[in-house]
Amino acid sequence: MPKPGVQSIVESIAGLGALVMELYQKSRGSEFGLTREQFDGILQEIAAKYLPAEAPQNDVRALCASLRVEELALARACAAGHERAWEVFLTRYREKLYDIAGYIAKESSAARELADSLYADLYGTAEREGQRVSKLASYTGRGSLEGWLRTVMAQEHVNRYRRQRRLVSMDEESEEGAQFATPEAEPVIAVDPRVEAATDEALATLPAEDCFILASYFLDGRTLAEIARTLGVHESTISRKLDKLAKSLRKQILAGLGRRGMSRRQGQEALDVDVRDLRLNIRKRLTQEKPASAFSKKKAEARAGDGPG
Amino acid sequence: MAEISKIVGRRLQAKAKAGMHPDPNLISAFAEKSLGQREHLQVMEHLAQCSDCRDVVSLAIPQGGATTVIAAARGGSGWLSWPVLRWGALAACVIVVGAAVTLRYPKPESAQRSIVARHTDTVAEVKSAVGAQMATKGSGTMANFASPRLPEASSNMAASEAETGRASKQVNVYGIAVPAPRADRAKSPATSAGSVFATATAAKPVEQSAAADSSLSEMADARPSADLTELVPGRAKDALEESQAVKAKAATGDVILPGPEIASAAPQVMSKASLRTTPNLVPRWTLSTDGTLQRSLDSGRSWTTITVSNRTIFRALAASGFDIWVGGSGGALYHSSDAGEHWMRVQPVANGESLTADIIGVEFTDTLHGRLTTSNQETWTTADSGQTWQRP
Repeated sequence: MPKPGVQSIVESIAGLGALVMELYQKSRGSEFGLTREQFDGILQEIAAKYLPAEAPQNDVRALCASLRVEELALARACAAGHERAWEVFLTRYREKLYDIAGYIAKESSAARELADSLYADLYGTAEREGQRVSKLASYTGRGSLEGWLRTVMAQEHVNRYRRQRRLVSMDEESEEGAQFATPEAEPVIAVDPRVEAATDEALATLPAEDCFILASYFLDGRTLAEIARTLGVHESTISRKLDKLAKSLRKQILAGLGRRGMSRRQGQEALDVDVRDLRLNIRKRLTQEKPASAFSKKKAEARAGDGPG
Repeated sequence: MAEISKIVGRRLQAKAKAGMHPDPNLISAFAEKSLGQREHLQVMEHLAQCSDCRDVVSLAIPQGGATTVIAAARGGSGWLSWPVLRWGALAACVIVVGAAVTLRYPKPESAQRSIVARHTDTVAEVKSAVGAQMATKGSGTMANFASPRLPEASSNMAASEAETGRASKQVNVYGIAVPAPRADRAKSPATSAGSVFATATAAKPVEQSAAADSSLSEMADARPSADLTELVPGRAKDALEESQAVKAKAATGDVILPGPEIASAAPQVMSKASLRTTPNLVPRWTLSTDGTLQRSLDSGRSWTTITVSNRTIFRALAASGFDIWVGGSGGALYHSSDAGEHWMRVQPVANGESLTADIIGVEFTDTLHGRLTTSNQETWTTADSGQTWQRP
């Protein structure tokens, strides 16, 4: 179904006849009953999804050339219910699906449940307007099909976790020795608006990648290795970058506070003598001393399992 | 690891805005580093603000971290990417420093060679004095043993060959380097069949000595030497027996021995002991155009005539360690087991027949096994260092 902006994309793709023909042959879609017209339609849909309506033809060409057309044709043929395509898909990805689920869920029964759930979605148990809707129809070939499956499964796992994390079995946790204390209320301390403004100003100057690193490390509690793996660099690089970022941020905030009328000493006090900071650091130290505390045992195990090999 | 203030963490969190999450296609492509620059930045900006998507990305990356990098989609990567430049610069620095260190400090081997050179200088000076003494005595037999002047010995090439352990194979008239003809030896070459080879070798430039040197041997052999023996009919005898026999003959006056002055001086100067104790001092051998044997102790810069027999025009030689074999006209074959200090004539006899034809090729693959080629196309072989011979 053409979407807004597709018209010009259609024209662009029509002008790329040789490339599209080459891609179609490369995709081997004909083996799965995918016609050239259907393939053109798929490319138009993908181009319309990722490119602006008036995108130059070079961009369309680059996008089409970067697609994993062989896996794209297989996924779309599976979504269309082609039996041969399903045979190929299951041969290639069935085992991988369970491996990925095991890696993400960490526990065999949960992993199997996750994989089966995704398998059902891929096959298309849900129907829309009388037609079976397969999740594979949303694969666009931007990355590998295996990577896409992994991402879809990770999303499903995060959604499940989000749904289930409030449902804690008190009995199970108690049997494991967990003791539930009354949650501490966060002390509401008024922060000097100048500090907030200076902090926002300093954060706004950071590149997206630096923000990602800061958030991953300080907010999500990811390890250096995990962040490094995501960015494809060595963890020592992340370590150095974090040190540099923390120092740079502090310097910038102090400079911002200075511009807002604070003396250097006042600025340092505003940043350092913050009881919540002290509490945060002490908590971090305690966590390092006793990583497997009663309630966080499972989470610590999960974290350990998440870490790089 | 440096900490950030809580206020920074709070503002970082507050900075997060609800927005459209990237679809799994983009996230998987991001994890596989196959997004273009623009889309990569967009996803990164979202990830900087979205904790859930950071979780998904973290889980979507394979455990081994082996993400598929698709270079086609990413601009700016490739040869000039930062890691390549960084490690390339490091490698270049290492190479430059290594080269500087190598050039700045001489190798221990070079130092050893210079010691040998100094030692040889001293030897040459003493030897020169002995040579002069011999000339005045006019003893004749070993007049050429001590050359008037021996230049400094820096047998670098020969030393390196000795280090590589290559055993010498063959040095014959075809491959040997011949020094430029000297005026005092401008006699016409022999008119025998061997003269053809002599002419051929004379035409070869002196620089070919380097190629010929490759067949010179290392000086590891420490066989006992025999004193000068003019003729040993039948077969060559054991060197020790030979030595005793020569001494006995010397007592009766049958054999010409070096004069007592030489005999007494030799151990102090160019004795075989001195040669053997200087492993880098490898003599080079060649045959001149007029068929005389010559030796160089300075990597071929200067050559000294070694008188083996005044009546023989030599056409072929082979050197293997301290063993030198030289053959020439009339089936004359001489052997020295002490790097040319003493010579012994060997008369090859096979099936009751002696070798009388000109020897035009001598080849010894080791100290025991050798082969002679004669001008009448005969081949004589030995497997016991010339004691017995076979003729096919």
